[in-house]
Amino acid sequence: MSRVAGRTDWAEEEDEDSLQLPQQTITKNKDGTETIVTYSIREDGKKVKTTRRIKKTTIKTIVNPRVAERKHWAKFGLEKGKPAGPQTDTTSVAENILFRPMAGWKATTEDKSEEAKKKNSLKDAKIKCRICSGDHWTTKCPFKDTMAPEGVDSAADMKDDVPETGALGGGGSSYVPPHLRGRGGAGEKMGGKFERDDLATLRVTNVSEFAEEQELRELFGRFGHVTRVFLAKDRETNRAKGFAFVSFADRSDAAKACEKMDGYGLHHLILRVEFAKKAN
Amino acid sequence: MRPILLSGHERALTQVKYSPDGDIIFSVSKDHVVCAWFSHNGERLGTYHGHQGALWTVDVDPTSTLLATGGADNTMRLWKVETGELLMTWDFPTAVKRVEFSPDGRQLLGVTEKRSGHLGTIVVFDINPDPAAKQSKEHSLRIVCEDSKATVAGFSYLARYIIAGHEDGSVSQFDAKTGELLFNTQAHEEDMQVTDLQWSQDRTYFITASKDKTAKILAADSLEVLKTYTADTPLNSAAITPVKDYVILGGGQAAMDVTTTSARQGKFEARFYHKIFQEEIGRVRGHFGPLNYVAVHPAGTGYCSGGEDGYVRVHHFDKPYFDFMYEVEREYAQAQAQANL
Repeated sequence: MSRVAGRTDWAEEEDEDSLQLPQQTITKNKDGTETIVTYSIREDGKKVKTTRRIKKTTIKTIVNPRVAERKHWAKFGLEKGKPAGPQTDTTSVAENILFRPMAGWKATTEDKSEEAKKKNSLKDAKIKCRICSGDHWTTKCPFKDTMAPEGVDSAADMKDDVPETGALGGGGSSYVPPHLRGRGGAGEKMGGKFERDDLATLRVTNVSEFAEEQELRELFGRFGHVTRVFLAKDRETNRAKGFAFVSFADRSDAAKACEKMDGYGLHHLILRVEFAKKAN
Repeated sequence: MRPILLSGHERALTQVKYSPDGDIIFSVSKDHVVCAWFSHNGERLGTYHGHQGALWTVDVDPTSTLLATGGADNTMRLWKVETGELLMTWDFPTAVKRVEFSPDGRQLLGVTEKRSGHLGTIVVFDINPDPAAKQSKEHSLRIVCEDSKATVAGFSYLARYIIAGHEDGSVSQFDAKTGELLFNTQAHEEDMQVTDLQWSQDRTYFITASKDKTAKILAADSLEVLKTYTADTPLNSAAITPVKDYVILGGGQAAMDVTTTSARQGKFEARFYHKIFQEEIGRVRGHFGPLNYVAVHPAGTGYCSGGEDGYVRVHHFDKPYFDFMYEVEREYAQAQAQANL
């Protein structure tokens, strides 16, 4: 044990080291900010280095002299002898409130904001539709009847051979109740009258992110009666995601549109139009 | 908008007031203590001790040197704002429900409760604005409300009239010199108490809040109802905002029913109405109980509300509040700007 006199135990040595904290250093940066580095020991005994960069700005305001004088009044009563500045036991800052006056305000708008809040909280959950990659549940997808889920094309192709595997939600392995087996799995199609004509739906890709649904409707409306236009939009930015679905009432119109519009230049991009893949 | 939460009181707030410069907020609650706060950061300047009962009302004189309070201990007291020193105590047979200084600060009125054989009264005292001076013990004027007790009262412009709101929903106008009843009008619904009366900046008109779920702006001269704001809950307070043409209403379910309702149903929000168009333009929530009083910063930069939940919430308005305009207002502003070019 070749230790220096006084240091007999390794544990002691360590203790001494942690007690020697470097001094706080303040460096002035070129851009007028200050960097303050402080060291401290946390409750769990670990040494912490804190680096803060502070920019000091002097704000000058002209105040009423009476008000300025009152600011220097000594505190009295329960506050007597307390230091300047708000005390944490009596003063706190509440959460931020968004207050935007608007004409025609109604109590219902309040409820809507609540709904929006709920949506926001769901946002973090990363919802992604397996059919159109939109940010909704697959079951809520407007194309669940017409489109196959992404990446399960092969499963969709196979459905003629193995009708049992045709799934409700699109996942190939999910359970299908016996009374729905043999119907191609399209349980939700039982409504009948809501059945969409998958044959007359076009998938438009390479759409500019500034495109509007109305714009597409007008564009495709030239070829026949457009029953539905869906432009996938990003929830946060509200910009188009780059693809859309256009449904026609008549398949021949759709075919014509597909032929004419494929390669059409919209904004700065060239559209790619094809028939949407059929749902299983 | 990030409200500052002032939690210096242990019981329900009854009134909050800004000083005329807007830098200090005075708050009184049922816990016997008066608090003074700096409005810009919520720092408590001090507390005023001496009352033996719940406090109902507070007012500060135009120079922010004297503070008057009234409470359920049947006293009205005068304090030195700076030090919290008690300068004067007036005793009454019943509780003091409302105090207010005249615009020049040389008169102080108090509204006393009707109880145990005593009729409700409005008393006026002459005040010496010097805190060191001795205040007169005797009232200079006493108005007895024989029909229905007054719940709120205030001085009009130049202290010409005393306007009082009554328990039966009526508003009356007294001559501030003689105490003679000049005019009485049933402004609110019958037997729906007038809960608050606050003045416009020039004191030529005022807003009353009532349990009949409406607030009304009346002219001080004629007591003519100029505007009506209809809410869906009993109102405890109403204030007129300077700078922007809004009014703020505060209220909510009666305090005794609060525990049976959730905060959402309780309608414990400050409601903003457009003063001219009488239309609701927004709400600010935050309190867990009814709002007992709303007060507006004299410069129109913020407001604070005192709630049954024992909190004072101080709000500093942000940009959208000042930017908001109705289409017609915007057009008018544009036309004005062009005319000036």
